[in-house]
Parts: sequence; C-alpha cells; structure tokens
Amino acid sequence: MTEFNPTILAFCCNWCSYAGADLAGVSRLQMPPNVHVIRVMCSASVKPEYVFKALSEGIDGVLVLGCHIGDCHYLTGNHRTAKRFPLAQKILNDVGIDERRLKLDWVSAAEGEKFQTVITEFVSQIKQLGPNPLREVKF
Amino acid sequence: MAFDDYKADYLLVMRAEHGSVAPAFISKGEEIGDVRFDIPYQLITVLSRIYPQIPKGKIAVVVRKCDELALNELFKRGIIDGKRIFKIGLACDENIIDKCRCPDPVPSKVDIGEPKKGVAEDATVTRLRKMSPDERLKFWVRQFRKCNKCFGCTITCPVCFCENQCVLGERTLVAEKSIPPGLAFHLVRSFHMADKCIECGECERACPAEIPLLTFRKMVHADMKELYGFTPGDEKTVSPLLTTLEGEPLEDEKNVC
Repeated sequence: MTEFNPTILAFCCNWCSYAGADLAGVSRLQMPPNVHVIRVMCSASVKPEYVFKALSEGIDGVLVLGCHIGDCHYLTGNHRTAKRFPLAQKILNDVGIDERRLKLDWVSAAEGEKFQTVITEFVSQIKQLGPNPLREVKF
Repeated sequence: MAFDDYKADYLLVMRAEHGSVAPAFISKGEEIGDVRFDIPYQLITVLSRIYPQIPKGKIAVVVRKCDELALNELFKRGIIDGKRIFKIGLACDENIIDKCRCPDPVPSKVDIGEPKKGVAEDATVTRLRKMSPDERLKFWVRQFRKCNKCFGCTITCPVCFCENQCVLGERTLVAEKSIPPGLAFHLVRSFHMADKCIECGECERACPAEIPLLTFRKMVHADMKELYGFTPGDEKTVSPLLTTLEGEPLEDEKNVC
C-alpha cells in the first residue's frame, strides 16, 4: 500500500516569508519535500482565484504565508489577506472541501525555524486528511 | 399608474405586450400599457444597462425588497445616482416568495400589493448543512457539472458589474473550450459576489441547467453574516472585505492626494 504523497502549494510573500524560507534552507533545516513554494510580492496579491483553481484541480493543500500584522512591506496588504481569508475557507466548507486544506500563517524573514514547523505540521495534517477528492473528478 | 404620480420622466416596469411580459422603459408622453406585477424579473439589471444612456431625468422603477437592496449596492459604489431614482415599492405575493425562499419580502415603502411574511429557511440549505463534507461535495459536483458556461447568471445579476474586466474571462482561469468550466468558476464567482449578492434568485431562474445557485448564495450569505456581521444591501456600511483589520478604509481607497 503506497503512502499518500500530497502535493502542496505555498504562496510566500517576497519580503518576509520567502526570506524565512531561504533562511530555513541555508540553516539546513529538514522539511518534507511535498511543498512547492511560489514567490509573490505580497500575501495580498494571492487572489482567491488562484487558491480555488488549485484546489478544484486536485492540489491537496494550499498555504498562504505573509508578513506579521503591522510589518507588511505594503502597509495593509496582510490586512486584506487576513480579512478575505476566513471567507475563502467558509466557501470551501460550503462546497464540501475540507477547510483545513487552506491555511494562512505569518512567517517573518528571521523565522527559519517557524517556517520549518509550519511546513512540517501542514504536510502531516494533509496526510491525515487524505488526497483531495477532486483529483479523480473529471470536469 | 400615471407619470404624474411619481414626478418622473421615465418609467421602468414589466409590461405585457404581444402575448408575453417583458421589461419596458417608457418615456413621459408614451402610453403606459398593461403593467404586470406578478412576473419576477431583475429590473435593476436592465436599469444599470440603460442608465449610462440617459444623461438626465428621473427614473421611476418598480422595486421588490431585493431590488431595493441591489439599488443600495449600486448607489454605494457611485454607479447610479440615488437622487435620480424613484422607487415604487412592490410587495411580492406567496408563490414568488416560496419560489425564492425569501426571508424578507417587504420593501421599505409598499405602494403595490399586500405585505406578506417571508419563508424562515431554505430546505435545501438545511439538508446540505446536515450532510458530511464528502456528500456535500458530491452534490455540488453533480450540480456544477451541468454548467455550460452560458454566463446567464453573470448577465442577469444586478450587482455583477465588472463588465469588461471580469476575471472569469481570463483564459488562465477558465480554459478555452472547457465545458463544464470547472468548480473554480463557481467558487470564484461566489467569492466575488459574497459582499454584493442580495439573493434575488435571478441567477437560478436564468440558469438553463437548473443549478440551485440561489441555495449556494444563501449559504455564503449566512457565512458573511457569521464572520463579519455584514449583510449586502445596507445603505451605509462598506464591505468588510475592503477595510483593514480595525475597520478603517484601506490606504489607497481613501481620496488622499
């Protein structure tokens, strides 16, 4: 019985969380390899369209990582992300996709270890949830 | 109905002619004809299409409660000038209320019809909330598979107004020749309408595949209320998706030079 290997996307903001991911890499911190990091300029530029399209096409989990509140390079970008995020989770819940497949967290440029923790916990959470049921659905 | 009752230069109503009922935009001086109030249709969509071509003059339009809420959303965004619109309140009757599963069918001022009580809850929404997520997903996938991307829901929606820049026209999101267009189409649409949808049900009536779109909108509406305490159609409040965490308007939305 082959173990389920999830495919996960992580949208990381250029200024904080991507730098945090770099730091985790440079410090040789071990993380599961299932996460594909996509660099965006700000977590607010992650449109809900990207997240919904990813999950509808069968991606098992989506992580959105940004700067801590008050530290956004564009001042209020992470406010927008924080405001629109619960709605995206609720809509996923309404349609029947588990809302835990989508997660928002704040990782600063100095928090390499936090990045490692967030990735490791999210991958194990997705492994528990199992593959995205929309993978087999041909639309 | 007479023009002088409303001091208006134009009248937008549903009118019966040539054997069918359709929206009619009547100028002062023209014969009004056989006006009908029993066929539900989204006159605000018609209004928003005609409005750019009418530079001046007052327009009187027959509004149900949902139409009034749609007008508020358009006033808030400066798309229609509130001072030029005169509302003729229409209270819906029972079969329309049942078809729309409407919780609040009485407009702020009733000029036509008797106020009736709304329906407490939508039976399909209750049934869906009781299901497990997997069952719910099966239900919605089966429904949304019927979609043939006619965009009927988008065209008849009164508050769907991002006409030329709609993201659903982007080929990167909705691939060419993709019929049905995938679940993302409907999820994105629900998200964008979340702070504007006033649940008139026109999308469901327009859908040729009979997808229960109004049911999904009602579920999202309940979510908006639970998360932000916000109901679209309110005259004063700005959408919570357009404010900072403290409720202040966002930096670039303020008119600062």
